[in-house]
Amino acid sequence: MDVRAQVSMVFHLDKCIGCHTCSIACKNIWTDRQGTEYMWWNNVETKPGTGFPVLWEDQKHYKGGWKVNGNGNGKKDLELLSQNKWDAFIKLFYNPNQPGLEDYYEPWTYKYQDLFDSPAGNDQPTAIPVSQITGEPMDIQAGPNWDDDLSGSNQYAANDINLDALSDEERAQLFEIEQISMFYLPRMCNHCANPSCVASCPSGALYKRGEDGIVLINQDLCRGWRACVAACPYKKIYYNWKTGKSEKCILCYPRLETGQPPACFQSCVGRIRYLGVLLYDAERVADAMKVPDEALVEAQRGAICNPFDEKVIAAAKKNGVSDEFIFAAQKSPVWKYVMEWKLALPLHIEYRTMPMLFYVPPLLPVMGKSENGKYEHLSENFFSGLENARVPVKYLAKLFSAGNVELIEASLKKIMAVRHYKRSLELGDFDIKLVNKIMREADLSPTQAEEIYSLTTLATPYERFVLPPIQREEAMSPTCSPEVCKGCEGFGCDEVPHRGP
Amino acid sequence: MIDSLLLIALPYVAIVVCIVGSVWRIRTQAFGLSALSSQFLESRKLLWGSLPWHIGIGLILAGHLIALFCPELWRSLLANPTILLVIESAGIGLACLSVVGLMVLFWRRLTSARIQAVTSVMDLVVLTLLLGQIVIGMIVALQYHWGAVWATTTATPYVWSLATLQPDVSFVADLPPLMKAHIVGAWLLILLIPFSRLIHIFTVPLEYLFRPPQKVVWTNPRHHEATAFLSDDEARRDFIKGMAALFVGGALLSVGALDKVFRFFFGPRLSPKEEAEIMGTRVKRLEATANEKKLELERQTSDYIFVAKLSELQAKEGKYFIDFAMCPALAFLDGNNLPNLISAKCTHLGCTVLNQVDSQGRILCPCHLSYFDIATGVPNAGAPAKEPLPHLPWAVMDESGKMVAHKSANGKIIGTAPAGNAESYSVFLAKHLAEESKA
Repeated sequence: MDVRAQVSMVFHLDKCIGCHTCSIACKNIWTDRQGTEYMWWNNVETKPGTGFPVLWEDQKHYKGGWKVNGNGNGKKDLELLSQNKWDAFIKLFYNPNQPGLEDYYEPWTYKYQDLFDSPAGNDQPTAIPVSQITGEPMDIQAGPNWDDDLSGSNQYAANDINLDALSDEERAQLFEIEQISMFYLPRMCNHCANPSCVASCPSGALYKRGEDGIVLINQDLCRGWRACVAACPYKKIYYNWKTGKSEKCILCYPRLETGQPPACFQSCVGRIRYLGVLLYDAERVADAMKVPDEALVEAQRGAICNPFDEKVIAAAKKNGVSDEFIFAAQKSPVWKYVMEWKLALPLHIEYRTMPMLFYVPPLLPVMGKSENGKYEHLSENFFSGLENARVPVKYLAKLFSAGNVELIEASLKKIMAVRHYKRSLELGDFDIKLVNKIMREADLSPTQAEEIYSLTTLATPYERFVLPPIQREEAMSPTCSPEVCKGCEGFGCDEVPHRGP
Repeated sequence: MIDSLLLIALPYVAIVVCIVGSVWRIRTQAFGLSALSSQFLESRKLLWGSLPWHIGIGLILAGHLIALFCPELWRSLLANPTILLVIESAGIGLACLSVVGLMVLFWRRLTSARIQAVTSVMDLVVLTLLLGQIVIGMIVALQYHWGAVWATTTATPYVWSLATLQPDVSFVADLPPLMKAHIVGAWLLILLIPFSRLIHIFTVPLEYLFRPPQKVVWTNPRHHEATAFLSDDEARRDFIKGMAALFVGGALLSVGALDKVFRFFFGPRLSPKEEAEIMGTRVKRLEATANEKKLELERQTSDYIFVAKLSELQAKEGKYFIDFAMCPALAFLDGNNLPNLISAKCTHLGCTVLNQVDSQGRILCPCHLSYFDIATGVPNAGAPAKEPLPHLPWAVMDESGKMVAHKSANGKIIGTAPAGNAESYSVFLAKHLAEESKA
């Protein structure tokens, strides 16, 4: 038993309003440098939609993540879908699995000075867009969140590869009410327990921190081979075209180490984000990721350890996990969402990286129906109508449970049951027998329902972000001053970062 | 002067600067180390540039390195003319491939606005140098054939002379200027490695092939303290392994010394008779050597050396013999039924020339492929050998020892082809004729 601590995350999608405040907070702190303009370590996508970079989920093209290799005698091995040892060398000089700038967008700014410097004339002066790479005027073809709220459009929503899971009928159902059926999916690095980016790095620059599981790129070791960009199935590693180094979300570790939640967590308007410690058994990770797709979520839960179990605590201490970390793991909101209530599910676990960021799937029931110009409530039986949910359960299953519909239904039923329970308490307009039946079906006790309600709606920052003291100062050498590095090409290095000759 | 500056001073400066500069840059300027890929900004042209360029130059460099470090292996491989032909044409093909790739890369860097945003002056300098270097290399390969072979006796010993700190330019001094330019270009490129993106050659991630997939870094001292007993165990194991390796190595080394000691004390003792026998054998061997030397001396002091019967000589296949200077020489029959004696010691580096005459009346030095005309002794144009093979004076005598014809060292033939039975005439290498002409 090799118990390690992991700072993990839960995003409650029912609460996300798609305001992009998280993305902006992140951008202002970390990616406002030249070479990083196009990077969005944290971004919010509209689903169904093609995402950022475009069609990142299409692993037939990008070949990110792991696959299971079965050999003759029944033994199975995890192997990178691409960028494994020999493949990486063949693709050293040209990598066909790399996303290019076209797959993101060309960053631009405007010639604001023209507004002041233009000579007097009959027309208003304009600020034309110029590329932030070449400095030349450009036609804007795409930009950040270019498909924001465009789920109704055929150009974006219809191309979502997760829709492959749906029958034609279900597709028709989804697009029948096309103007309103969508949800937001905030995405950032999952800080996976079985990261394919770390495994693919030819230079050994990527690593997972033992203490808190944060996946980082050592900027001094990175040589810009970009294997990680291709190997990360979530496309959450970005290549800095200016410095020739790859960069990724660092889970704001300098903030975590000083007791603050990451910027995107702190700034979240909808308070959808939860941060806490999970203990997991590192020895079980590889085996857990070898099971068939539908069993992956359960296998991941099997690799996560109960922080109240004495054996687990002893094993964790043997690994140097501090008492504070174990205490934080016992209080962790992520433990509650993922393991106690089983509400939160990982995104695309079929990539087998064992992501440690979990999503509470959005509840999108059909609450009413407009027919012959008349809107009718269907609230009486909306619980039984899970199959007719606005976004089909199969679609959600494709995203959050590798196609296992039961897991999504179990999660959605619980969320629904909490709503019924609370409504029956607050308004008393529901038959208590019906509520009890719903609670039984969802396998939920009234105490749990109260807890879920409380953590979902009323939680204070201290309940949402349970941060252990990380005390990195015990071991680390100081890096160059942020004042010196701010605005230049990198950060977190001993030397002042600059592009090599 | 210019030679020693460019071929001795420059290489040492280049190598020292390359090693010191690269180590300094890798150790202290790690952030600036990167392959600096621009595939992200422009990918289509890169495919047709980067791939042919790297494949072409990689294989060509590998060929150069084999010729530099394993010249014997390389030469024995190339002794087979088919392999030589294949390697020579493969080299030209790969050079074309890399030139095409480099041109595409150059064109891409000059035309794409995005790529220009990440282009430095040094990039253009390196590209120009590389292009020049590879074009010069191609011209050398096309103009002076079989470079794969002759480089092992020119460039290879030159580089080795540099490596062993006994620089000797004479190996390459006689090479054509283009070839010298190719060598100088190589040193310039090595000089530029630490100051340009060429440093990525040293960052090829070979360790990736041997490392476990996941990498976990613990920086918190608590982990190390908690797992300290493990590390102690590991340290002990490492220590034992190291000691075992030292012990085995030491044991192997001391076997030789122990053997001597053992023989000294416990080895077989020779009886006086056995000792006398061994001494006797040694004396006999020395005598034989002395006799050989005496014969050689006699031969060198005699006026004539018998070459062959006139009837044994052929026009198309030479007969080997040893001349007064103990060097190989060849005897042919010329058109007038008279002998034609020519030195067989190549004027380039002294190999023995082959005795088969080709259709153009030439004999071949197999080492570096110089063709010598047997009538004039002159090597073909572009051959490594520059001086003609000297003709040797000869005399033809009948059975009674009467000279019927001879040729002096100044090339004048006196007498005519002997009529009648060729069996009865002998051909001699004549020393006094050579001396006469000198006098």
